[in-house]
Amino acid sequence: MKIFRSNTAVDTPYSIDVKGLTRRFGEFTAVDHISFSVKKGEIFGFLGANGAGKTTAIRMLCGLLQPTEGSALIAGYDLKTQSKFIKRNIGYMSQRFSLYDDLSVFENMQLFGTIYGIPSKELKERIYSSLRMLDLEDKAKTLVYSIPLGWKQKLAFATAMLHRPQIVFLDEPTSGVDPIVRREFWNLIYEAASQGVTIFVTTHYMDEAEYCGRISIMSSGQLKLVGTPAELKEQMQVDTIEDVFVKFVQR
Amino acid sequence: MKELRQILKKEFTHIFRDRITLFLVLAIPIMLVLLFGFTISMDISHAKISVLDLSKDSQSKALVDKITSSGYFEVVSYPNAESEIDGDFKEKNVKLAIIIPPNFEEQLTGEKFVTIQIISDVSDMNVASILNNYVKLILNDFTSDYNAAEGSVNAIELTSQMMYNPEANSVYMFVPGIITLIMIIVTALMSSITLSREVETGTMRMLLIAPVKKVYVVIGKVIPYMILSFISTLIIIIISVVVFHMPINGSVWLLLLLCIVFMLTSASFGMAISAMVKTQLDAMMITMMGLFLPTALLSGFLFPIDNMPFFFQILANIFPGKWFIIAIKDVMLKGSGFLDIWLYMVILFGMAVVLMAFSMTRLDRRR
Repeated sequence: MKIFRSNTAVDTPYSIDVKGLTRRFGEFTAVDHISFSVKKGEIFGFLGANGAGKTTAIRMLCGLLQPTEGSALIAGYDLKTQSKFIKRNIGYMSQRFSLYDDLSVFENMQLFGTIYGIPSKELKERIYSSLRMLDLEDKAKTLVYSIPLGWKQKLAFATAMLHRPQIVFLDEPTSGVDPIVRREFWNLIYEAASQGVTIFVTTHYMDEAEYCGRISIMSSGQLKLVGTPAELKEQMQVDTIEDVFVKFVQR
Repeated sequence: MKELRQILKKEFTHIFRDRITLFLVLAIPIMLVLLFGFTISMDISHAKISVLDLSKDSQSKALVDKITSSGYFEVVSYPNAESEIDGDFKEKNVKLAIIIPPNFEEQLTGEKFVTIQIISDVSDMNVASILNNYVKLILNDFTSDYNAAEGSVNAIELTSQMMYNPEANSVYMFVPGIITLIMIIVTALMSSITLSREVETGTMRMLLIAPVKKVYVVIGKVIPYMILSFISTLIIIIISVVVFHMPINGSVWLLLLLCIVFMLTSASFGMAISAMVKTQLDAMMITMMGLFLPTALLSGFLFPIDNMPFFFQILANIFPGKWFIIAIKDVMLKGSGFLDIWLYMVILFGMAVVLMAFSMTRLDRRR
């Protein structure tokens, strides 16, 4: 049978729509039938203890890892058959700083912009306008290793946004940066969300979880808790998200 | 293609910004060739020798005088029997032993050739061959002197016996070995390091998430190192030909083609290693211990494969260095053509294809 691979997206109000997504490594089930959906322009916090399966889930959602079972629509494209189109429509930024230290700010952005297929003239304009927004215009020619971590994280975010993705996956984007930069970073996230970009963010900072529209908490590969921060606090009868997290994970 | 060009550009930028590595990659081959070439001294005087004179007649004494007065040699031992010569090599550190046969004077005017035997310590081949040539010169000189004085004489025949290094390694034999090792360092080691560096720093994940073909990512990273190692190889070949007068008896094009094939093989070993490890350090250790060292030891570059225990002779086959060294020696020294070495090229190319396929399938299993 010939598999029909469509290049059109399904029209859906959801940016991410996951049903029963599962990944096993041999006997070990890293992600166990998780289902959730994220609306367009929503900031969705994806929490969980270390080793809960968050990274594996994100890798599947980004098309880096094939799911063992289940299905997902990302930006309206089917995860199993249309990963090529998904890649063009998502941005990704990781906990570990992932730009090249020995390339300049501009060269880094140019590299990623080009491999996302942005025409070079357009790309140059976009790079300078995002550097202007970050107030880093004068750093364009500076090698990345010599700039502070907080700025690097903001740059990595700007780089992930260059090709104007519909969804951006942020894997612990603020770990290790100071509170001021974290605040600035979240301003960037809000700004992107206000323009309709869906934000899928993992974090270990519980105050950040409060900034999210909705959060989910993963534990032992399963995703059982999804809701707005207020709903979850009420459901678990505690005052802070941190307590929700601890109570849920210890249970 | 634009993506590939961009990745190539980025990789070259990495290389040119890392001046130390660039310098090492280009300077090491030059240093190695010059080191091997020049540490073997080209002019020798007062080499220690022993002379076994089995005739002790006037002509044999004249010959010994001629040898001692030449300035090239210093006779440190006059053994009385052939059995003592071995001891001279071991204890008196002589480089050469000359055996003058019994009845030398009679034989000179007789019907048959006169045979003078030379036993050389060939652990340093260059010294041995230079000393051998000195002896030949002295014997020619002796013969013409004798002809002038006594009339016609039988030609003196020289038989040489080599000790300690029957393979007769010389600078010519080292050049293919150096090319092999340099290619492994520059292509295999650098490719495995550069690929695992991207995995380690997390940039590989950024590249794999981007809508760019995996193949472009890998070849875009490896091609610059192949170009570098090709330049190193050219430098080695040019120095060996210009400075050390090494012959290239076969076709230069075939030689270059062979080097390109081996470069692909080395690069694919580098890719396969990086596909199995997670850190640069692991990549480096495995490439050095698992590829570089076995290649140096088992490729026939330092030790002849035929003299190895059976197990190692079999093991040597899985390292590409052995096939490359056989082929490159054939082309450079024997002047072999494509039809003589195609099998080696096919083996090398086959290794490259299998390993590249392996690393491509492994690449996306990593983060």
